[in-house]
Amino acid sequence: MGAQRVKIAVCIKRVPDMDVRFKIAGDGASLDETGVKFDLNDFDAWAVEAALQIKDKAGQGEVVAISLGPTQVQETIRKALSMGADRGVHLQADRIPFDGFSIASALATELKDGGYDLIFFGKLSPDSSNGVTGPMVAEILGLPCVTAISKLDISDGRGTAKRELEGAQEIVEFPLPAVLTIDEGLNTARYPSLKGIMAAKKKPLEIKPATLNTPQVTIEKLELPQDRAAGRIVGEGSAAVPELIRLLQTEAKVL
Amino acid sequence: MAGRALRVLPAKHQPPLPADKLLVREPLDPEAVPMDVVFVGGGPAGLAGAIELTRLVRADQEAGGTLGEIQIAVLEKASALGEHSLSGAITNPVAFRELFPDLTDSDFPFRAPVKEERVYFMAGGRAQRIPTPPTMQNHGFYIASLSEMVRWLGEKAESMGVNIFTGFPVQSLVMDGEKVIGVRTTPSGLSRDGTPGSGFTPPTDISARVTVLSEGTRGPLSQAWMNAAGIKSDNPQIFALGVKEIWETKKPLDAIIHTLGWPLPNDAFGGSFMYPLTPNLVALGIVVGMDYQQTTLDVHVLLQQLKTSPLFSEYLAGGEMVEWGAKTIPEGGYHGLPKKRYGDGLMIVGDAAGFVEVASLKGVHYAMQSGMYAARAIVDALKKDDVSENTMARYDALVDASYITSDLKERRNMRLAFQGSGLYVGGFKATLMTLTKGAFPGGKIDSEPDAHVERDVVPAEGFVPDGKLTFSKLDANFKSGNATRDDIPSHLIVGQDIPAEVAELYVHMCPAGVYELDRDRLVVSPANCIDCKATDVIGPRWTPREGESGPKYRLM
Amino acid sequence: MANIFAFAEARGGELRKVALENVTAARKLADATGGEVHALLVGGPGIASKAEQLGQHGADVVLVCEHDGFTQYNPEATTAVAAERMQSGGYRAAVFSTSAQGRDLAPRIAARLGVGLVTDVTAVELNGDKVVVKHPMNIGKVMATVSMSGTPALVALRPNTYAPAQNAKAGRVENVAPIGDPSTARVVVKELIQGGKGKLDLAEAPVIVAGGRGLKAAENFKLVEELADAFGNAAVGATRAVTDDGWRPHSDQIGQTGRLVSPELYIAVGISGAVQHLAGMRTSKTIVAINKDKDAPIFKVADYGIVGDVFEIVPALTAAVREARKGH
Repeated sequence: MGAQRVKIAVCIKRVPDMDVRFKIAGDGASLDETGVKFDLNDFDAWAVEAALQIKDKAGQGEVVAISLGPTQVQETIRKALSMGADRGVHLQADRIPFDGFSIASALATELKDGGYDLIFFGKLSPDSSNGVTGPMVAEILGLPCVTAISKLDISDGRGTAKRELEGAQEIVEFPLPAVLTIDEGLNTARYPSLKGIMAAKKKPLEIKPATLNTPQVTIEKLELPQDRAAGRIVGEGSAAVPELIRLLQTEAKVL
Repeated sequence: MAGRALRVLPAKHQPPLPADKLLVREPLDPEAVPMDVVFVGGGPAGLAGAIELTRLVRADQEAGGTLGEIQIAVLEKASALGEHSLSGAITNPVAFRELFPDLTDSDFPFRAPVKEERVYFMAGGRAQRIPTPPTMQNHGFYIASLSEMVRWLGEKAESMGVNIFTGFPVQSLVMDGEKVIGVRTTPSGLSRDGTPGSGFTPPTDISARVTVLSEGTRGPLSQAWMNAAGIKSDNPQIFALGVKEIWETKKPLDAIIHTLGWPLPNDAFGGSFMYPLTPNLVALGIVVGMDYQQTTLDVHVLLQQLKTSPLFSEYLAGGEMVEWGAKTIPEGGYHGLPKKRYGDGLMIVGDAAGFVEVASLKGVHYAMQSGMYAARAIVDALKKDDVSENTMARYDALVDASYITSDLKERRNMRLAFQGSGLYVGGFKATLMTLTKGAFPGGKIDSEPDAHVERDVVPAEGFVPDGKLTFSKLDANFKSGNATRDDIPSHLIVGQDIPAEVAELYVHMCPAGVYELDRDRLVVSPANCIDCKATDVIGPRWTPREGESGPKYRLM
Repeated sequence: MANIFAFAEARGGELRKVALENVTAARKLADATGGEVHALLVGGPGIASKAEQLGQHGADVVLVCEHDGFTQYNPEATTAVAAERMQSGGYRAAVFSTSAQGRDLAPRIAARLGVGLVTDVTAVELNGDKVVVKHPMNIGKVMATVSMSGTPALVALRPNTYAPAQNAKAGRVENVAPIGDPSTARVVVKELIQGGKGKLDLAEAPVIVAGGRGLKAAENFKLVEELADAFGNAAVGATRAVTDDGWRPHSDQIGQTGRLVSPELYIAVGISGAVQHLAGMRTSKTIVAINKDKDAPIFKVADYGIVGDVFEIVPALTAAVREARKGH
């Protein structure tokens, strides 16, 4: 008992649908976005869900969805609002930099005075595939940070989390306020309900310019990997095994 | 075996649609989301209707009228607009121009104007150029992608304040007596056995003063409602199945191409098309009437065979197939139209009503136009605060007085000339019809529903895809963007004790590989379904399932 | 002449293989400019005994920070000592691993130093005053060439990309004190739970043997496990059909909604190649398929295929692999 008001920020990113064949844009260093569908990053959706569950459990609170990028990210913020976040903040930037430290610095500036009990990130986003923003924000803000959380319990201003390692797990304890990054398996993100989508249209979405520093990490070039060469049937039945072994040793060099 | 060849009558094995699920007579959920007008289906008909309605309401408000705020919703089952839209397409811009009088053709989402067109008659893989039949002349029209047109219309609608909800299929009309008072969406997150799994979301009710069914081809709600309302048509609605691919080509294509003949058997109606979206991005497909005469006719395989002929392979060689899809097309034309397309609180527009002109392969502009007429009738009804069928009737009056009806009437016997007449005699009759603008042959050619057409059981032709020019259904399905979860419960209603030769019919009928024969047993993989509705026409019945299932077309 | 920093990741008092990968990669970079490799080894009492291995793989200097407070991974205290060392050490670049620990640690250090970090790096080289890396993006569908300015440039390597190579150097041990008291760190790892049976994780395993419906019954998965065992460094995966039927846990599932894997060698046993499964393993370096149906879609994706009865072929293959790997 004892409903405590909890304030949670969730930093979210709009990412392209990964199920497409990508094309490189004319500048050779970015992707051609024509016809590509974008959506809220899955890991961020789990982060939003985690925040909503904590708020639901606390009985009262506020979940704020924050995203950095061009105008289109407002659609992604609205999705988080449709899921149940209370308000959104759009940090306007023409392009999302690749440099995680640039993004983290801009986010930290926004989060600094927000009085958040918890700041959630998805573990990584599959497009830039770096996974650094969360812990960097924590470091800039001087906050405790736990990454790759697959189980989470928050009570009385402290938290316990389980982290997934390779073939092992860690149980970690930490005080609030804290920055947490969410991994697959923590929860299943709720679908926005029709009611939620309607309500989201009326929720506040603040737009402000992002304060971006000069990036130290830049994409020089993007390339599409070669298509696989055609394979072949080596033979039939167990009689083909010696030949397969030979090929794996001499040709593929994996044995 | 001696005597007559074995024949299959699909209707014998087809269960009825579950009317008690599709039409629900109970009060709406007290938490129902309140809307004024709901469009079921975010295709060209629904979106054009929503845009026109918004415009008219706005005009009324600006003129100091009494309508007030009207909440309009478009419910679309795909995860994004356009993902379940598929057409050739060569589009007549007339409806776009009427809907957006302040824009010009260059503003519209078309790829290119039709320049040259060529028609071929194919025999044994060889193409013989023939003069373009008058019904197929496309000068002044545009090559376009329906997915792109729908996304464009969607953006316009959203910017005008239409509420578009993607990923929300409608599973039922909610009725109060004969009045349609709203709709109910499908649940999501059911386990394979139909019980709620993780991420379960229950159905949502939406109340509406008027519900417009813009479900598209072979819509289950439209069928169920028309059956219940006893609405008939002169001829039953009949369908064709189209399978389509999009290719990036090395060799540029400079003309739109249509073909007749091979690889369709002479007793099947249909043909093929190949259109350049850009000179090196080509849409091609084959369309075959579903009254075909052999149980093992396989439209997907026919398309793969078609591609091997030099006329096509010279463009496709060295290129890459980037998308694949399929969809049925209502082909009944004028005599197949339901006599009444409205009821208390309800209207039916677009392909769901059958507004497709077969001979010219056109449906998009009719769909949009019908949506716009529905909008006009709805505004009148809302102003009078009367959505009973007496006011809804204005919709039919508008359609009947329009080019939709006159076009369909002029070409009314074209398709039917082929049913039973084969390619040559049918072609001759069709030519006469064109030349006499429909006067000959007069009267009406009778037809039967496709499921009532008996087919010969013949062994299937072997087909081995090469994986470069020709593809298996599984590979093709991958290219439709279909990522439906493997454990989705089945939305298909299969008849009892399906014999092997009927199962074979299903295996070849379905372009997406939903049906397989395992020894003699029918195996159903519902996750493969791409919602083309061919199954509903002659096989297991299609019912609405979880939102975001099915294909994700980008350029179809 | 550029000195390169390498983080020697340890867990539970043992060096992890990625520590040697980091040192090997750092050695390559250092050699390009005639510089030194300094490895940082942080751990509880006794960790110093692992320093020698680092020297054998190319570390000129091993900075050892041995303290009770590091018996479990201590992110804040490790960040403090690493950042301090890197700041004072004038390193050109610092090499970490994109392991779970590396993903947790490297960004903190980068932010503390105010420098750039690229993770999941598959190649790194020095180029003028920049460090240039290759970084797969968009689930491996796009490859980025990224340049990093600022020093030190932090890179976190994709595990299994730089094979550990013996290249003995002095490995001179320098003891380093923690910054402040590690036990005052706010984030505390209370417990390390080792995974059952010492199983290799699908994300890390260089070889994956996966089984599908073609195995007919749950108990036949033994064949897959034995083949994996024969390799010695293989993990076991499964298709959605098989995990749905409960033959294997969901964490074994490879496919679109399961795991995306990219091992050196992927062996698909009794898997037909449904669309969703292929999406999960398409980017494996070498794919071998064993299936009784020669038209199964998996053969389109496989580099090598054997058609026939899996119950006959897999045991034969297992024996042959054991033989081939003798003395490895």
